[in-house]
Amino acid sequence: MKKIPVDKVQDGMILFRDVCGPSGNILLSRGTVISSALGRRLKNWGITTITVEGKEDSTQEQKEVSVSEEELRNEMQGIFSGVTDNPIMKKIFIAAYHYRLHKTKQE
Amino acid sequence: MQQKKQIRQSLELISSIPTLPVVIEKLTRLLQNPQTSAEEIGKAITTDQALASKVLKLVNSAFYGFPGKISTITHAIVILGFSTVKNVVLTASIFDAFRKKGTGIEGFDLEHFWLHSIACGAAAQSIAKITGSNQKEECFIAGLVHDIGKIILCQHLPEEFHEAYVFAKENSILFFQSENALFDVTHQEIGGFLAERWNLPKDLQNAVKFHHAPSPTRDYYMMTAIVHCADILIRALNYGNGGDMKIPVMSDNVWKNLGMDSIPLSQLFEAINDEIEKASIFLQIT
Repeated sequence: MKKIPVDKVQDGMILFRDVCGPSGNILLSRGTVISSALGRRLKNWGITTITVEGKEDSTQEQKEVSVSEEELRNEMQGIFSGVTDNPIMKKIFIAAYHYRLHKTKQE
Repeated sequence: MQQKKQIRQSLELISSIPTLPVVIEKLTRLLQNPQTSAEEIGKAITTDQALASKVLKLVNSAFYGFPGKISTITHAIVILGFSTVKNVVLTASIFDAFRKKGTGIEGFDLEHFWLHSIACGAAAQSIAKITGSNQKEECFIAGLVHDIGKIILCQHLPEEFHEAYVFAKENSILFFQSENALFDVTHQEIGGFLAERWNLPKDLQNAVKFHHAPSPTRDYYMMTAIVHCADILIRALNYGNGGDMKIPVMSDNVWKNLGMDSIPLSQLFEAINDEIEKASIFLQIT
């Protein structure tokens, strides 16, 4: 499921939750296939966001970050293999990992 | 066990080992005399025009961070001091002696090598700063040249270099461990030999020779310790590549003596990163 603003509604999206009006009455029920035109009408009814089926966009981004996290961890574990039992090296590993991860996210 | 290849002698016999410009020796002599004036030093440097112009580019870069334009060597000496200018000349000369000669061997890119060296210099400088050493500039040079023996090996005995490189990779060991297993000499010794020939200051010579085995009982321990620490941190941060994909274990003694436990590493990493950005000028002027 993903929560989207009504003006981002695209044709063919499927509602994951009922859309209710201000008084709680169901305007559109779960499972309805919606269109961008319907999205505009929802806006007129005072609805700002709806929940549709599908993956959240940010999940996609998070996934990309986690791939680079994994890559970073693998790369560093290769370089550090056999030395992380040493407490100083462990400390350096952790600090460098967090620093580099932080840098990657900034970029 | 397989017999180690004897390469020490052949390296010592190479006559084409790079030399530093005569101006360095002249400067060292001039600087020993307290009566020497800025003009005299300026004159000595400007006898080598190419070098003088590089020195001016460097002193006007963000690396030295001086506001306003320095247009003559004499002006640079007045503003930055004798010792800084000498260090700039030394650094520019070392670069001149080695840069743009060959492209390395398969898998070993010289650009990556220099990036590792510059980063190590920048890290050594940052560590010197944060630990209160008064040898920041010297530490930069020490970090810059700590692996110079690898370049000598790569340029003069490329087959042996390749052998050591592949052996390190296949066995997942450090480059010097690979050299130790295959040859009668390591890049630390080769670099130390060059530093001696160049008459570099003794603390710099020792930093090159012992960066993988710093010992507090040896002279000039602090600079060696700083370069040892810088090399390891730079490998952890993965700037450039010195010829292997491993990291040496930090000496407990170095860690303790530099007081690294009380230094916030993230802050040091940030300082190193800033310093590397500024030091990248060295890759642009040569």
